[in-house]
Amino acid sequence: MPPILEARDVTRRYRVGSGDVDAVRGVSLTVDAGEFVAFMGPSGSGKSTLLHLLGGLDRPTSGDVVLDGELVSRLSDDAATRLRREKTGFVFQFFNLIPLLSVWENVALPFTIAGEDARHGEPADAVRAALASVDLDGKERHRPDQLSAGEQQRVALARALVRHPALLLADEPTGNLDFSTGTEILDRLWSSCHEGGQTVVLVTHDAKAAAYADRVYVMHDGSLRDEIRLGRREDHGAGQLIARLADLGL
Amino acid sequence: MRALDALARRTLVARPLRTILTIAGIALGVGVLVAALVLNAGLDATAERSVRDQLGRTDLRVAAFEERGLSAASLGALATTPGVAIVAPELERRTYPVAGPGSGAGLPVPVTLVGIDPAADAALHDRPLAAGSPLPLAGGDVALVSDALARADGLAVGGTITLNGSAASGPRAFRISGVLAAVPGDPDPAGRSVIVPLGAAQSLVGTDSVSRADVGLAPGGDVTAVIASLERRLTSEPYTLSTPGDLIAALRASTADFRATIALVAALALFGGAFLIFNTLAMTVAERARDIGLLRAAGMTRRQVTVLVLISAVHLAVAGVVLGLAAGIGLAALVTALFTPGGGVLGIRELVIPPAGLVLGAILGFGVTIAAALEPALRASRISPVAALTARLEQTAVLRARLRWLTLVFAVVGVAGLALWPGAGEGSAGLARPLAVYGMLLGVTLVSPFLVGPLGTLVGALARPFLPVEERLTRSTLVRDPSRTALTVGALSVALAVLVALGGVAATTRRAATAWLTDVIPGEAVLTSIRPVALDEPQLADLAAVPGVARISPIGRFAVSVGGRRLDAAAVVGADLLADGRLVLSEGDRAGALPALDAGGAAILPAAVADRLGIPLGGSLQVLAGREIVALRVVGIAARTIPGSSGEAVLVGWRDATQRLGVLGADVFAVRYAPGQAAPATAALAPVARAMALEPASLEALAGTIGASVDRLFALLTALAAVALIVAGLGIVNTLTMNVLERVRELGFLRAAGLTRRQARRLVMLEAAVLGAVAAIIGVGAGVLAGVILAALGAGPGVTYDPGWGSIVLALVGGVGLAVVASAWPATLAARLEIVRAVQYE
Ligand SMILES: Nc1ncnc2c1ncn2[C@@H]1O[C@H](COP(=O)(O)OP(=O)(O)O)[C@@H](O)[C@H]1O
Ligand SMILES: [Mg+2]
Repeated sequence: MPPILEARDVTRRYRVGSGDVDAVRGVSLTVDAGEFVAFMGPSGSGKSTLLHLLGGLDRPTSGDVVLDGELVSRLSDDAATRLRREKTGFVFQFFNLIPLLSVWENVALPFTIAGEDARHGEPADAVRAALASVDLDGKERHRPDQLSAGEQQRVALARALVRHPALLLADEPTGNLDFSTGTEILDRLWSSCHEGGQTVVLVTHDAKAAAYADRVYVMHDGSLRDEIRLGRREDHGAGQLIARLADLGL
Repeated sequence: MRALDALARRTLVARPLRTILTIAGIALGVGVLVAALVLNAGLDATAERSVRDQLGRTDLRVAAFEERGLSAASLGALATTPGVAIVAPELERRTYPVAGPGSGAGLPVPVTLVGIDPAADAALHDRPLAAGSPLPLAGGDVALVSDALARADGLAVGGTITLNGSAASGPRAFRISGVLAAVPGDPDPAGRSVIVPLGAAQSLVGTDSVSRADVGLAPGGDVTAVIASLERRLTSEPYTLSTPGDLIAALRASTADFRATIALVAALALFGGAFLIFNTLAMTVAERARDIGLLRAAGMTRRQVTVLVLISAVHLAVAGVVLGLAAGIGLAALVTALFTPGGGVLGIRELVIPPAGLVLGAILGFGVTIAAALEPALRASRISPVAALTARLEQTAVLRARLRWLTLVFAVVGVAGLALWPGAGEGSAGLARPLAVYGMLLGVTLVSPFLVGPLGTLVGALARPFLPVEERLTRSTLVRDPSRTALTVGALSVALAVLVALGGVAATTRRAATAWLTDVIPGEAVLTSIRPVALDEPQLADLAAVPGVARISPIGRFAVSVGGRRLDAAAVVGADLLADGRLVLSEGDRAGALPALDAGGAAILPAAVADRLGIPLGGSLQVLAGREIVALRVVGIAARTIPGSSGEAVLVGWRDATQRLGVLGADVFAVRYAPGQAAPATAALAPVARAMALEPASLEALAGTIGASVDRLFALLTALAAVALIVAGLGIVNTLTMNVLERVRELGFLRAAGLTRRQARRLVMLEAAVLGAVAAIIGVGAGVLAGVILAALGAGPGVTYDPGWGSIVLALVGGVGLAVVASAWPATLAARLEIVRAVQYE
């Protein structure tokens, strides 16, 4: 099976004041379809920047990113946008829901953007199913500010899932949540991967979250420092990962 | 306090665009208000100066009522009246100069001939010369020509000017001894006047009487005493007396409509300005709720928060008022420059800056700004630190409350502003219009939140087939928050409403002027004469004999004295009006009344005159003619009659006019063409008319300068409305930009989820287009409504409202266009948005 994601010597350089900062430097990696991969690392190590590059939100200063066979780093903005629309779903730390829209309308946005009317037919069924899968049935008419933080993040997750994108990208999705609501989100991501066959790329600084992954990359100063293979496990216990990190002196 | 002030300054500087817009809003309101006050003062000063130019040091003007003028006997009586020191008689006539050999065919341009007594005249009037010397005291065939005439006809000192006189005297040549300096107040409408010694003028036109006499009183003389003794002594002819004070008051009264309109525009500008100020201040507070919450958490008291917002408002007010005062004076100077050359009723000849007006403008500017800032200031103080930190502000409820407050501010501003308006107490009718329109705009602002939802959906539906994605995203955001949308479109819809209202009123006024004339003149064209043409002149038959001419109906306009007051009158052929179907009587029987005019002893009164004199149908109108009083039976009352020089004319038959009221002939001939013959007959009539010194004119020319000054006035008002529109456009740029900035995260997510740059751009532009269309629809509706109210309060009965389709189309296209243009910058912001930054940080 060809990899769904591939990074080839990717560097992202920011100009800060008079000097340059390499937020990501010389990263090469592959992610196979159906894998659950996590990026760990301290704050400022370049995790978010790398995730944005992998999802086609940003463009590397040098190197290439291949998303589902397409050289996304060389595509025009429009082409990259269309590729994102078809292949990816994003979940952010700060939910990024649209406050004026209802829960239903927020979840239906990917259809709206794709020019499909989500009030009827198959798209409507998909919205309903996505909401049910995050246990939000009955809250369709609520507005985001009427929901708890955990519920808001579940809306954002349902929105990312609604069109069954091949690749789910999540940046600290549990960063603003308490432990138990965080766990609900991670469980849902894991089942999309394990049962739905979707690929999940998760950025986190929390070992308990990273423990859901099949593989964990450890980032440091913009580079991949280590790769820890955990394999697929049903229990998500963080013990093994914590032990391996300790072995690495982290 | 000082720390708060520094903080307030910081926040203003941090958002330069918004700060500038708020200042522009205040400046607009204050500027137009001050301009209006300056213009008002200018009109007053002009009235005084025009009278001074005309009368010089005259204390009392005695004017003849009839064309026969004041006799030598009257002048003698005048001179011997106790208290009278100087009597300066003048004879004024229009005549044609004899064209020089070089001039082309056709009639030369007429001149106004003024005969004066050089010695007496010099005591009362200054007639500065540009060249040459004054008239010799001895008299003779010597002339002073006006600067305009000298230029136009190539005359110079030492040359001659030959003038046509009466049939008996024939043309006569005058040696030009001087050219008058160009000063305002020339008796000729085109500034073409010729001043000659009285005796020479009298023998030229074949009369021994004069048109008027200007009187200078002896030192310590009392005008009232002189007037009283004149009433006993001057008995040979009817006359009118006017003092400089009377004339100034009359001139001022004639500009009442213009002033009322200026007040209206000022009210509208104030409304628009207040709206803009309130809008921006309220938005600033809503946007900074979080910061304010943090300040509260850090220990700032509610009171300090209120003071903080108010200090910002004071800064804005100071800048806005200063700018507004300067802009207002500039605007007034511009208008003055624009209106000076035309002169006439609406002439404004000098820029007078009334200190009280500047103070009023400044007070209102400050007041409105502070009033508009009060609600946001109080609201800011009520922001709880907790609510701000958890970012859970109920925006919709906030905006509802705002709208309620807005109503109060506007009501107070409207009433206070109009109550303080100079002279507001005198004419309640003048004040009714601005108040009605103000109230209507307020109503529109209040109901528009309920309209924007449905209207937005409706307009959006039009875009759906072309931009389905953008339309769906737009609809959800616009419709979701109608209060905010209403505030955004408010300024634009108010500006458009003003534009449409002015367009409608202009169109209706113009229509009224024309409708009036077609209703009362028994013809589709007129021929005018500068001298009365006696009805028995044989050439008149030639006119009627021109092929294609169905009827020529003579009209003689003159003045009568009724109860010591001057009234316009016109002699008409009743049978012609009857046959032509002209003249609508509100009381009386047309078929009986019109023939009764021709039979004699009867008159038809304009409704306005009947009301003023309190004469009912069947009553008697007592007209002073010579030494006796002629009684005319009122056989009809008409809504509208033929326009005279200062009002509508009392209609009488020719028999009465010539035999009892001293009318010498007709000065207007109404021409009715045979059906379908208008074009050839007009051409055939022209040479015949010219041979009789008759000039073809349009019907509107009869109504004097009404049409032209209406057009000029409304062009000016439209320009002001356009200024308001520009400010409204800036307001939209502001709100749309704020929309984009506030929604950076949303847009960031939409882009991440697959919205292309072009779609993001089109999303913002479509939003703007929908807002513009909604504003245009509301604005046009409100404007038509306001126009109907204005027209109902202003125009006479029976005039149907003409909405002025041009301005409606302009408002619709302009509203949408302006909004789309205004969205260019925010749309670019949206398209250029860096997704990564937008989604990442809070
Ligand atoms: N737009 C930017 N401009 C300049 N520096 C940036 C920008 N975005 C990120 N960085 C820098 O790149 C580095 C990596 O940032 P980021 O990828 O957000 O780290 P992480 O997500 O691991 O906390 C940091 O040092 C950050 O300051
Ligand atoms: Mg990060």
